[in-house]
Amino acid sequence: MVRSMKLLLSWDPFLIALIAVVGAASLFPVSGVAAGWVGAAADLAITLLFFLHGAKLSRAAIVQGAGNWRLHAMVLGSTYILFPAAGLALVALVQGWGNPLLLSGLLYLTLLPSTVQSSIAFTAIARGNVAAAVCSASLSNLVGIFITPLLVGLLLQIEANGTISSWQSIRTIALQLLLPFLAGHFLRPLIGGLIDRNKAILQPVDRGSILLVVYSAFSAAVINGIWSRVSLGDLLELLALSAVLLALIMGFNWGVARLAKLPREDAIVLLFCGSKKSLVSGVPMAGALFAPSQVGLVVLPLMIFHQLQLFVCAALASHFRRQSEAVDDAEATLAISHGAQQIDATAAALGMTIPEACMPGVEANLALLERHAETLLRRDDAG
Amino acid sequence: MKSVIEIAHAVRHGQISAMQMVDQCLSGLAAGDRQLGAVTRVLAERARGEAAQVDALVAAGRDPGPLAGVPYGVKDLFDVAGLPTTAGSSLYADAPPASRDAEAIERLRAAGAILVATLNMDEFAYGFATINARHGTTRNPHALERLAGGSSGGSAAVVAAGLLPFALGSDTNGSVRVPASLTGVYGLKPTHGALPMRGVFPFAKSFDDVGPFARSTRDLRLICGVLQGIAMAEPRARSLRVARLGGRFCDNVDADFSAALATIAPGAPVVDLPEIARARSAAFLIAAYEGGHLHRDALARDAMAFDPATRDRLLAGALLPSGLNHAAQDFCNEFKQLVGKLIVDYDVLLAPSAPCVAPLIEDPLILIDGARRPARSDLGIHTQPISFAGLPSLAVPLRRPGRLPLGMQLIGRPGDEASLFGFAAMLEENGVIGWSPPPGVLQGNHQ
Repeated sequence: MVRSMKLLLSWDPFLIALIAVVGAASLFPVSGVAAGWVGAAADLAITLLFFLHGAKLSRAAIVQGAGNWRLHAMVLGSTYILFPAAGLALVALVQGWGNPLLLSGLLYLTLLPSTVQSSIAFTAIARGNVAAAVCSASLSNLVGIFITPLLVGLLLQIEANGTISSWQSIRTIALQLLLPFLAGHFLRPLIGGLIDRNKAILQPVDRGSILLVVYSAFSAAVINGIWSRVSLGDLLELLALSAVLLALIMGFNWGVARLAKLPREDAIVLLFCGSKKSLVSGVPMAGALFAPSQVGLVVLPLMIFHQLQLFVCAALASHFRRQSEAVDDAEATLAISHGAQQIDATAAALGMTIPEACMPGVEANLALLERHAETLLRRDDAG
Repeated sequence: MKSVIEIAHAVRHGQISAMQMVDQCLSGLAAGDRQLGAVTRVLAERARGEAAQVDALVAAGRDPGPLAGVPYGVKDLFDVAGLPTTAGSSLYADAPPASRDAEAIERLRAAGAILVATLNMDEFAYGFATINARHGTTRNPHALERLAGGSSGGSAAVVAAGLLPFALGSDTNGSVRVPASLTGVYGLKPTHGALPMRGVFPFAKSFDDVGPFARSTRDLRLICGVLQGIAMAEPRARSLRVARLGGRFCDNVDADFSAALATIAPGAPVVDLPEIARARSAAFLIAAYEGGHLHRDALARDAMAFDPATRDRLLAGALLPSGLNHAAQDFCNEFKQLVGKLIVDYDVLLAPSAPCVAPLIEDPLILIDGARRPARSDLGIHTQPISFAGLPSLAVPLRRPGRLPLGMQLIGRPGDEASLFGFAAMLEENGVIGWSPPPGVLQGNHQ
């Protein structure tokens, strides 16, 4: 019960704002001339957002953490190979059972870069390798600006006014995102300090832009009858598919981390950076990549997946932190564990399991070590 | 098999080619190791390649190095280019191959020595017995029903049996000195950190060192010079200040050793190192902690993949709290300072290498303070405190042909291995210490 309350409280205020905007667009959709103005403002917001993304991205962080190339390769592999492959498989599996545009949205979310802020925050909570997370997540975003539009062009077939019609349009779209991004990034030497110092002020600009894009997109979607095309069943199906996708990716990444014998701190980076998708990049990219009437439906799966990943990662990060604190507690003491029950508990705190066949031998060896500890600590003069 | 110095002399002067030497050695190893179980991998192709290079240098009139054409083996925890470094464990049998040789091997190769085999050990060097689940138990050449000691048992056994003129091992708590004592050869544990450790699979980094085995002081001194990169000086004729270690070093000792010590240094003063029991316990705890923590991730993944003989010890070590390790490390620093002050007036300190002769494989227990204790964990009772103090220690075999070997440690001040070699050369000259050929089936290998 307490945990459920905590989960409820862990709802991101930004997500609540997003839902409110979706509600507002459903009740008061903008139309006519006003829609043109809102659309133009949304385009401007996208430009501003990517300009800010570019200005915020620190190349130094990427260069500094680049030594751990094996880990970064795994994160990029998960984001841009594993995720799209899982998305394609999942969509192929349920093809014909749901709204095609929603399924396209599901596939679209698998092509997006990883989140930056929350990946780093969760890695820090879980006591993972924060420096590597900063590098991996930044790298994922930098690569995403090029790769995501390409993957969208390659893998998504959107008919009816779809903007993904030719390589020419892809290039134009990439440039619409890329140009402001590069402009911001190359101006970083001049404005980077200002941006880093005023993150708190810039956050509303960042988030306001997304809310504007969502309002514009959902207004168009509502006018095109989104709520008559999307049922509660569709939403539940999306939630279930998102859960399957997240479980698949996280399970696979955890398995890879163990096979590759990654240290615990790096395994956490792979789990969090390699299993997340960026709402902040995904919504404006969709605004630029898809027709206005489609954006609302396309980003809906992303919004659902985003909240799910926040819930799951928050729970996992807390679990890893508790585990890490238990290791600290277990190690800070001078006491050696006694008896199978205590030995099992100490081992569990360290992420180990003592096989039943080993328990007598482990008990005997710990007893021997305890005799030596007593001699060392002068509780016994023999030995 | 001839000595290191004799082989190098013969090869350098064209009396025998390095290739002939390697071929002789390989056939001797194949025949002799059937009884011993000391060899884990024979590196025939590599050895012939190295021999061809040495022969080419000799033919060209160039210097092939001080160890020209001398075959040798290494404990299974040294990196050998192109082979997985297994540390005696099946867990690493399919590990990616090492990209280059360990530094010790590179130095020996540059001096003309030829690597012919890797040698058996306790898994991860954790034990004094060389009982290995993957490669079997290495037998003592002097009595095949007895242990060769460990963890560098394979290295000691091939040298004792005359199958190789020298071999490399590693010593964390006594893993060179204990098997040297049980098989009757010379073995050096250098001053901590004095010999190159790059490319050596660790056990407990606080105490890990590499060390060579050989059958004479002169051979061992030559090899040590190559390994440390500076030839060791010839022992000077000077009077060395010798003392015997008392206290715990006089308990749990073979009666023959006590008698021999009375002959070797009859009037020598006795130095009592304080806190020996605490030192041994602290060394035991640090080794358990560092060994267990080194393998903790692998143990968490699949503990049952470890050798049953080391698995439970490593698991227990992995569960040790770091607070105990810190306490042991703090005491280690105090102990080093204390011992440094006590031994400042002496060049050589004498102590037993092992508490007894080689135990039976069928009954691998030894008497410690009247209680039967596992040989695997307790044979290092006299070597562990010396490693703990970081002192150099040269294990030498008491000369007793026809009887089971017994070893003695010549312990010195940090960095003063030269005094130990000088004293050993004198004892050797007096016939008090020296290698004795094992009797029986392996005798045919000695020339």
